[in-house]
Amino acid sequence: METNIWQEILEFFQTMGFMQMGADFFGTGWQQLVMLFISFFLLYLAIKKQYEPLLLLPIAFGMLLTNLPGAGMFHSELWDAFLNPDSPYYHSYGAILKNGGLLDVLYIGVKAGVYPCLIFIGVGAMTDFGPLIANPKSLLLGAAAQIGIFLTFLCANAMGFTEAEAGSIGIIGGADGPTSIFLTSRLAPHLLGPIAIAAYSYMALVPVIQPPIMRALTTKAERAIKMKQLRAVSKTEKIVFPIMVATVVALILPDAAPLIGCLMLGNLMKECGVVDRLSKTAQNELMNIVVIFLGLSVGATATGPSFLNLKTLMILAMGIVAFGCGSAGGVLLAKLMNVFSKEKINPLIGSAGVSAVPMAARVSQQVGQEENPGNFLLMHAMGPNVAGVIGSAVAAGILLSMLG
Amino acid sequence: MIMLATNWTHVWMVTILGFCLVFLLLVVLIYILKLFGFIMRPRIKVAKPTEVHEAVGAPRKETSESITLTAEATAAIATALHLYYNGVHDEEPTQVTIKKIERRYSPWNSKLYGMNNLHRN
Repeated sequence: METNIWQEILEFFQTMGFMQMGADFFGTGWQQLVMLFISFFLLYLAIKKQYEPLLLLPIAFGMLLTNLPGAGMFHSELWDAFLNPDSPYYHSYGAILKNGGLLDVLYIGVKAGVYPCLIFIGVGAMTDFGPLIANPKSLLLGAAAQIGIFLTFLCANAMGFTEAEAGSIGIIGGADGPTSIFLTSRLAPHLLGPIAIAAYSYMALVPVIQPPIMRALTTKAERAIKMKQLRAVSKTEKIVFPIMVATVVALILPDAAPLIGCLMLGNLMKECGVVDRLSKTAQNELMNIVVIFLGLSVGATATGPSFLNLKTLMILAMGIVAFGCGSAGGVLLAKLMNVFSKEKINPLIGSAGVSAVPMAARVSQQVGQEENPGNFLLMHAMGPNVAGVIGSAVAAGILLSMLG
Repeated sequence: MIMLATNWTHVWMVTILGFCLVFLLLVVLIYILKLFGFIMRPRIKVAKPTEVHEAVGAPRKETSESITLTAEATAAIATALHLYYNGVHDEEPTQVTIKKIERRYSPWNSKLYGMNNLHRN
């Protein structure tokens, strides 16, 4: 009897996370410990510093849960088998549902590319494309800012990543979290954790990264340029725009259809004015629920062995290059456009061509007002900003069709 | 070794072609948007009073023009309208009214428990 009690107690101690971590401390234990500290740090950034807290908090908590030994909430080995063509569980969602934990089940939404598209419905429902419709030239700035994606793709290849991995790293330059997750889950799912964290961290750091680049590439006189007020946009234009863009883009580039289609669906629900309930749901409840699921499951992929390696550091370094090149591309094209056009454009709005809505547009406004307090660039910058959302989704579609 | 293993022809092709395709697609959208803008641009009707028409009493002919105002002009008009509409409201009666206060129920002043009811029974 006595032996049995001690046996039970011993078995209980062996199931404890502390014991499991200690038993294999020099194997994966230390990695789990480091990852737990990284998750604490990210939680601190989200709560105290408020760096993109809506996403960083669930991501950090997902990271915390997945690195708790013995909790069994996420099984990376199941997903390795899911991706291995030689495994009997290749592409078997049934095996995941049968053997997986909570985070495995939630991760199915990322794997199937459902969450980023649902988030895009919400983003579309919250976006006003009016400034873009009023000034279609903004699309050029949105396109130029995508140069960061392709230059980083080139760099990542030179640094030894495969083409699919390089495409996923490059998309960080689009400064669009859902697009980065969508493309990475298709091209390089093993890099999802570091890429999602890099994308969201740099998006939060837009006010720090962009202003020095903007100031370095422009003169005082250029920064003080006042732009002509945008024309009024009719309701009909706003209703026709999402239908037209979804049709044209999907017909030219079918791989971009899920993202652009959902973005435009959300926008149409907002602009048509007859489905207010749906629009409000997309903006609030749907968006919030999906953000929780997406954040938790993306954080869950950041396990010790997949995160703590040289590749992650290289991804973080290249992410900032991608972001900087994108911002510079937009500013430089705006300067080039000034050479050829009569109506001068303030080059500061070019940097808003990277998505990061609406933070990048706000940065343009702030830097512009430093030179000329009477200059209101916000609405002008919103044009390239929303063009950047379309541009990065298009770039993701192109990379998917060429590398997928 | 890694550099040699990479198919650089394909990498350059994806880089150049990919970026050009993004540009091309968005340029196509620009032209489509401009076309839509041309067709659907809201036009403000501005009546142009001509002396001849007014003299004869014929109905005034309205011409359609698109007007672009400067930001300052828009702000000035908006402020003027705001001030005007803020000033347009009914004269208030300036009477002090005392709200009717609902009396709380208390058995001490209840008619049911009054002396008269007992007397009736």
